[in-house]
Amino acid sequence: MADDPTRQLEERARAARAEFDAAVSAATDAAALQALRDRFVGRKAGLVTALMKDLGQLPAEARKAAGASLNALKQAIEGALEERQAALAAGEREARLQAERVDVTLPGRPIPQGGRHPLTTVREDLEDIFVAMGYEVYDGPEVEDDYHCFEALNMPADHPARDMQDTFYLEGPGGLLLRTHTSATQIRYMVENERPPEVRIICPGKVYRRDDDITHSPMFQQIEGLVVGKGITLGDLKGTIEVFLHRLFGPQYPVRFRHSYFPYTEPSVEADLGCINCGGSGCRICKQTGWLEILGSGMVNPAVFEAVNRRLGRNAYDPEQVTGFAFGLGIDRVAMLRYGIDHIRLLYQSDLRFLEQFPR
Amino acid sequence: MKAPISWLREYVDVPVEAEQLGQDLTKVGLELGGLERVGDDVVLDFEVTTNRVDCMNVVGLARETAVRYGKPLRRPAADVAESGAPASEVLSVAIDAPDLCPYFAARVLEVKIGPSPDWLRARLEAVGVRAINNLVDLTNYVMLETGQPSHAFDLERLPAPGLRARWAKPGEKLRTLDGVERELSAKNGLVAASDGTPLALAGVMGGGDSEVHDGTRLIALEAAYWNPLATRRSARSHSLHTEASHRFERGADPAATRFALDRIAHLVVKLGIGSVRPGIVTAGAIPAARHVVYHPQRTNRLLGVRVPEGEHRRVLVGLGFGVEGGGGSWGVSVPTWRGDVGSEIDVVEEVARHFGVDNVPATTPPASRPGRLRDDARFARRVRELLAGAGLHEVISLSMVSDAAQRGVADARVRLANPLSEEGDALRASVAFPGLVQALQLNQRQGRRDVRLFEVGAAFLPAADGGRPREVRRVALLVSGPDPQARWSGRREGADFAELKGLVDGLVESLGAPAPTWEAEGAPGFLHPGQSARLRLGDAAIGWAGALHPDVAAGFDLRDAACLAELDLAPLLAARAAVRFAPLPKFPAVSRDLSVVCPPGLSAAGLESIIRGAAGPTLRHVAFVDRYAGPQVKAGHVSLTLSLRFSDPDRTLVGDEVQRALEAAVQALAAAGAEVRGVA
Repeated sequence: MADDPTRQLEERARAARAEFDAAVSAATDAAALQALRDRFVGRKAGLVTALMKDLGQLPAEARKAAGASLNALKQAIEGALEERQAALAAGEREARLQAERVDVTLPGRPIPQGGRHPLTTVREDLEDIFVAMGYEVYDGPEVEDDYHCFEALNMPADHPARDMQDTFYLEGPGGLLLRTHTSATQIRYMVENERPPEVRIICPGKVYRRDDDITHSPMFQQIEGLVVGKGITLGDLKGTIEVFLHRLFGPQYPVRFRHSYFPYTEPSVEADLGCINCGGSGCRICKQTGWLEILGSGMVNPAVFEAVNRRLGRNAYDPEQVTGFAFGLGIDRVAMLRYGIDHIRLLYQSDLRFLEQFPR
Repeated sequence: MKAPISWLREYVDVPVEAEQLGQDLTKVGLELGGLERVGDDVVLDFEVTTNRVDCMNVVGLARETAVRYGKPLRRPAADVAESGAPASEVLSVAIDAPDLCPYFAARVLEVKIGPSPDWLRARLEAVGVRAINNLVDLTNYVMLETGQPSHAFDLERLPAPGLRARWAKPGEKLRTLDGVERELSAKNGLVAASDGTPLALAGVMGGGDSEVHDGTRLIALEAAYWNPLATRRSARSHSLHTEASHRFERGADPAATRFALDRIAHLVVKLGIGSVRPGIVTAGAIPAARHVVYHPQRTNRLLGVRVPEGEHRRVLVGLGFGVEGGGGSWGVSVPTWRGDVGSEIDVVEEVARHFGVDNVPATTPPASRPGRLRDDARFARRVRELLAGAGLHEVISLSMVSDAAQRGVADARVRLANPLSEEGDALRASVAFPGLVQALQLNQRQGRRDVRLFEVGAAFLPAADGGRPREVRRVALLVSGPDPQARWSGRREGADFAELKGLVDGLVESLGAPAPTWEAEGAPGFLHPGQSARLRLGDAAIGWAGALHPDVAAGFDLRDAACLAELDLAPLLAARAAVRFAPLPKFPAVSRDLSVVCPPGLSAAGLESIIRGAAGPTLRHVAFVDRYAGPQVKAGHVSLTLSLRFSDPDRTLVGDEVQRALEAAVQALAAAGAEVRGVA
């Protein structure tokens, strides 16, 4: 039976299979795989191809089963070759990706990094809060006259309150001056207002005082608010300022009102905010009081309406009919509180070491 | 105003501790500025606003305390046991200037000068007043207590036995208590002896010659009401500010004159310092109380809450106001110590203060119109965002600059009459110069090389009619040093004109305005004459740009060159065109590159204009992509490479058309002396 052609064929097929199985896992590149393909299933010299050619020598009754067996062998070999090829390709792709690895901790290619001034950021935040509350942002001139800056604000010449606002004057006639407060702008608006007595404005801008020491800058920035109409009350002032301060600093801080004095408002109240640094327990920022003085305000003094009416030559803001409130705060102060800036003069020194700390 | 709580308690029952009292009075308008323990006592320091001189004394603070807690106010004892001959036998008083002094009063005291008792010295020292002798200390004590300054003259040292209030004559002289010999002017009010000799600067400071000394036996004690404005001007004319002038300037209590004299006299007897001659000698009259019509409803309307009628009355009566009538309209008489109250709104404020802002419910007024940021403000925001995004940092510099430093900026400038220093004696006529250059200088001194700054703000230009200066809103830019973004790409050269121009044109384009024209002539003199331009939009000059002149840069001791520009914002805002969508091209474009060697004098703008003119309307787009000057071209010449794009919205261009357009351009360039090196 040893020379039984069927058995011989089976032996040769088994040997081919064993040889292939050993060789395929050793093939590590496309050329080796091609060589295996040629040796086992190649059309000319493949071992399995040769076995299939020899099928004809078998007895007819054995031919069918042996053929099926050889076909299965050929398919297994071709499948194994494809599988191996895919594995090799995956390995190569993986190696290529590994070779393309970058150091993700290296810095990126920088895009330009400038920035807006912190006072700009704060001013725009303030503007946005008030615009959302129905205010118009109104911008007045920085050079003013005595009427707008003092007289119409119930501060006639020799008024003691003028001592607190030492004023820069321009050379030449006309008594022109640099405005000492943005309150001057509320007068300008009321005079120019096309729809008196209705007013709801804020006026941000630069103001100037003849102070130059460690805690003062001769130029700084304020924002003034003015609301005028029929039936405007001190309650409206309180509510508006509470809403505003809570939007600006957060609702967690208490707001305190206390009476004060400004010549152009009566009654006058100052608003204090629970210290955002210490939470009210007392610290250097709030001078151990737990409160930050943040804003001056009050009900528009009828004398202010009367001064505007005199200039207009008509009773556009009748103090018997019309009331209003005004408030003012320092933009610098808000910025210094928000960012923890300890010296006002840093704001105006154009030092990049300072400016670069404020991303836009 | 410092007040020991023990002193306050003499005149009002304080139902709370000192800290609470401080907080409560802060709410009614007397802000606590400090609190200090002195032995068993607590000294409260109140920051009294300028209108409330009536609270610059213990009784005034006690009155506010009394109203705050609903307690009665006790007045200091001022009954006087008089003895001897009437005062009027040894002293007369007169007023020569009623506009200076409406009321003048005096008493005559016989005293033995010595040290004050310990309790009095301690109380004065607790509030920061130096003890001198018993009589001077008493005048200070009673001033702190009642608010009325008074002055003691040594009656036997007066050149004549009378006192009169008058204006000084220019050239008169007076040696004041501080030892200064002062030349007087018509602004100064005087207490003079009846023979005319100046004795004291009225309401401000006494004179040295009539000063009380250890041997003084007979005292003329004066207490007058001095006109606030007169006192203010007089004190200012000598740069003086005293406890007395502080009070008179703000309006003292005319009726307190007599009370203070009585109170001092009472204490002189009580403390065994001496005796009091009968009578007060006076001149003039205490001004009558003012009357105001008050409508409680006005307060209620203004506060937005109904204050009970009894509360209106309680507060006003407690503060010393007389209240008559009822219903809707009250007659209110104003106490003499409340010179700040002159109209109904002042009365409203008094009721509001003590009713308490905390009792007013918070409301918000309904918005009548939508809120609005004006176009120019929105535009300025956009400018800031764009420049910050382009790598520049915003600065805000002082509007005051040295006029000498900005001489080259404008012929006419706005100068300050009272500058703080020469460094800031004018308003800036330019935002960029010298402001941004000084900012660069500061940063370079700190070792910083790459500096890119911008500022948006006003430049101040004199008005032609001499009126209010024009405030022109501008944007200014400065670039200097290596571009910090270029490091990765290896480009390390410093800022130059091209970087500046790129920033300016990019900014203008992003703002939606048409590209400005860059003209080589007409830039300011502080710029490099060969690297600067005047910028135009249509016919209007809108700014300038260029490298800082090397001589100017040397003057600022700059390490790196700087390029700066300044543009008016208003014309850019006005020139913005509405964006309109253009249909996407249906037909392909044809691109060609052109290398041209330009002779000296032919600018890039001229080159582009020649090419566009010759090539016709199918040339849609011209871009400069490379520039070369060096050994490959003749000296003074420059080789420019342009990328040209041809298209037609209605059809596909055929090769011949582009070729003909190019040939026309090449011929026109040749006619202008420019040689085309290649077309691709």
